[in-house]
Amino acid sequence: MTNAGATAQAIAPRLKLSTQYGLLGALLIAPTVLIFCAVIVYPLVSAIYLSLFSIYTPTLKGSWVGLDNYVALLASGEFWNAFWVNVVWTVGTLVLQVVLGVALALLLHQNIVFRSLARSLILFPYFMSTVVAVLVWRWVFNDLYGILNHAMMWMGLMSVPLDWIGSMPNAMISVILVGAWKYFPFVVISVLARLQTIPDHLYEAATMDGAGWWGRFTDITLPQLREVLFIVILLRAIWDFKEFDLIYLLTGGGPVTATQTLPLLVYKHAFALNEMGGASAVAVLMMLFMLGFMLLYFRYGRATES
Amino acid sequence: MTKVTFERVHKAFGAFVALEELDLAIRSGEFVSLLGPSGCGKTTTLRMLAGLEQPTRGTISVGDRVVNELPPAERDLAMVFQSYALYPHMTVAQNIEYPLRKRGVARAVRREQVLRAAAQLQLEALLDRKPRQLSGGQQQRVALGRALVRNPAAFLLDEPLSNLDAKLRAHMRAELIELHQRIGKTMIYVTHDQLEAMTMSDRIAVLDQGRLQQFDTPLEIYNRPVSLFVAGFIGTPAMNLVKGTLKADGNRLVFDAGGLSLELPPALVRRDVLREGGIAVVLGVRPEDVLLATDGERATVKVVEPTGHESIVFFDLMDHTVVGRVGPDVRLAAGEPVGLTLNAAKLHVFAAEDGRRLNADLQPPATQAAPSLVA
Ligand SMILES: Nc1ncnc2c1ncn2[C@@H]1O[C@H](COP(=O)(O)OP(=O)(O)OP(=O)(O)O)[C@@H](O)[C@H]1O
Ligand SMILES: [Mg+2]
Repeated sequence: MTNAGATAQAIAPRLKLSTQYGLLGALLIAPTVLIFCAVIVYPLVSAIYLSLFSIYTPTLKGSWVGLDNYVALLASGEFWNAFWVNVVWTVGTLVLQVVLGVALALLLHQNIVFRSLARSLILFPYFMSTVVAVLVWRWVFNDLYGILNHAMMWMGLMSVPLDWIGSMPNAMISVILVGAWKYFPFVVISVLARLQTIPDHLYEAATMDGAGWWGRFTDITLPQLREVLFIVILLRAIWDFKEFDLIYLLTGGGPVTATQTLPLLVYKHAFALNEMGGASAVAVLMMLFMLGFMLLYFRYGRATES
Repeated sequence: MTKVTFERVHKAFGAFVALEELDLAIRSGEFVSLLGPSGCGKTTTLRMLAGLEQPTRGTISVGDRVVNELPPAERDLAMVFQSYALYPHMTVAQNIEYPLRKRGVARAVRREQVLRAAAQLQLEALLDRKPRQLSGGQQQRVALGRALVRNPAAFLLDEPLSNLDAKLRAHMRAELIELHQRIGKTMIYVTHDQLEAMTMSDRIAVLDQGRLQQFDTPLEIYNRPVSLFVAGFIGTPAMNLVKGTLKADGNRLVFDAGGLSLELPPALVRRDVLREGGIAVVLGVRPEDVLLATDGERATVKVVEPTGHESIVFFDLMDHTVVGRVGPDVRLAAGEPVGLTLNAAKLHVFAAEDGRRLNADLQPPATQAAPSLVA
């Protein structure tokens, strides 16, 4: 600090002390600002810029079209379908992740046998590479030789094999299930970490005050989990909303466009239809949705904190 | 009203015995302290009574009801936790209201009772605050309020004052005594602070390593400790304890410890404990029973600790360090030679082997000659 202060003084010997400190501050945050600009602002600005052109992907050459890309998108059924699919997927998988994650965290918080083993095993899906996980699930879901059909028919739950990936609503259900399976461990570890810090005496006090197990859950556990759930849901919602590889690998957006979310639509515009401008426009719109969603969430978050 | 009884209550955590065959009969409306060093089983005792812990064996009764199998909520007891255990996301009013809400009391009644409890504890101005916006003493009052509002049969308090500073502690001590006098409910108070126990309790149960040592009034425990442990634990500064041998020599009773030889009042100990050739004992004298006397035995002053209203003085008496307390007007300096006598009416004798009290003094003689100190 003193060194940097001396440097600042050498650079601007005649400036007032407050100005010197201002310069020093600017100097110190400059690297962060530069990196931030390089990795966030530049791509963002260029995406917005690209979305105003009609561009052929292989050559990246094209002409200015203004807002035409947006107009076309907002008027197209495909875009709104993708948006709706995206919402269904995000809400569906998020709800499952949170319910499953909280339930398992509660279970793992109990003194059950093999608790530490179970705690490590639960992380398995989260650590597994998406490609591997999806390949395994495709095998499980396969309509001809998949173990799921086989098991369910063996148990007498159904009489004919189901097409889990190639028909609706099975495909959406499958995607949601696999997404929940893959990402619920994140909820488990976050919630479990918080559960372990809730003091026992709160539960004991509630017990003496006459609360049963459900009362203790709603009056102690849930309020104590509120902050961590807020963060977890926020993060998972963002990540699920822009999820690409899991869905692309599992269904490719099909059947037809039944599981085609916005990120898949971006991909389709960019590399199947070879129009980078349209793809950028989808990406920018997607970002706007998420921005609105986040603002809403932050306002809610601030309100609940105070 | 409600008496609380422990009968042969035993508690083991695995192989570790936390509480051994506890028998304790607490009378209705009594203020009883559980006193003992850290880890002696005070909290365990309270938690078993509350129902948060199951005794390994033995019966616990509240009133005339055996509560062993009753869930905590049905025992009609309220507990104030050492850490207060206030619900952090609820306001003061909601905290106090909670036990009523869980018992299905109607909203209007709840409101009224919360206000009454808040008024009793001067919490009215704080009702809308969250616990973290309160000072330690205020939190403690809220915890008390949450217990009060239920109007339970008995209160269990686990070191409720231990988190407070000395001044607030003295203040809350007085408030608790006043509260007990006002509502007259049975209160069981856990503490490891002997001053709290002595000043607040009707009776004190002194525990050590899971064993009940003595259960009696504060004065009785102070004046007639039944064991070496109780003698050493109660009182500040601690009782002087000198190891030596006690011998009956005809009609005389002689205590020998290194260079120190004292003739004790012949009726001090029970005759049946004495053996030919003497027995190993520990002689106990409270600091206030170590008296300055010009004709007493020679000793030197080692350290003087003035506290303002008195001075604690460490004497060197025949290579034994003896603590005494003298009035504020007595000026003593380190190295100064003085004469000492011991108040013969207040001597305590304990068996060295098991620490039990050997005095024959269920009714000690009012006055007795000071023992002569013979070099
Ligand atoms: N759940 C438990 N499992 C094993 N040992 C325990 C358990 N609870 C208490 N103990 C042991 O039992 C003994 C008594 O504990 P307790 O909490 O009753 O002590 P305490 O007298 O309240 O002490 P403190 O003054 O430190 O609060 C201690 O040695 C403690 O280690
Ligand atoms: Mg304790």
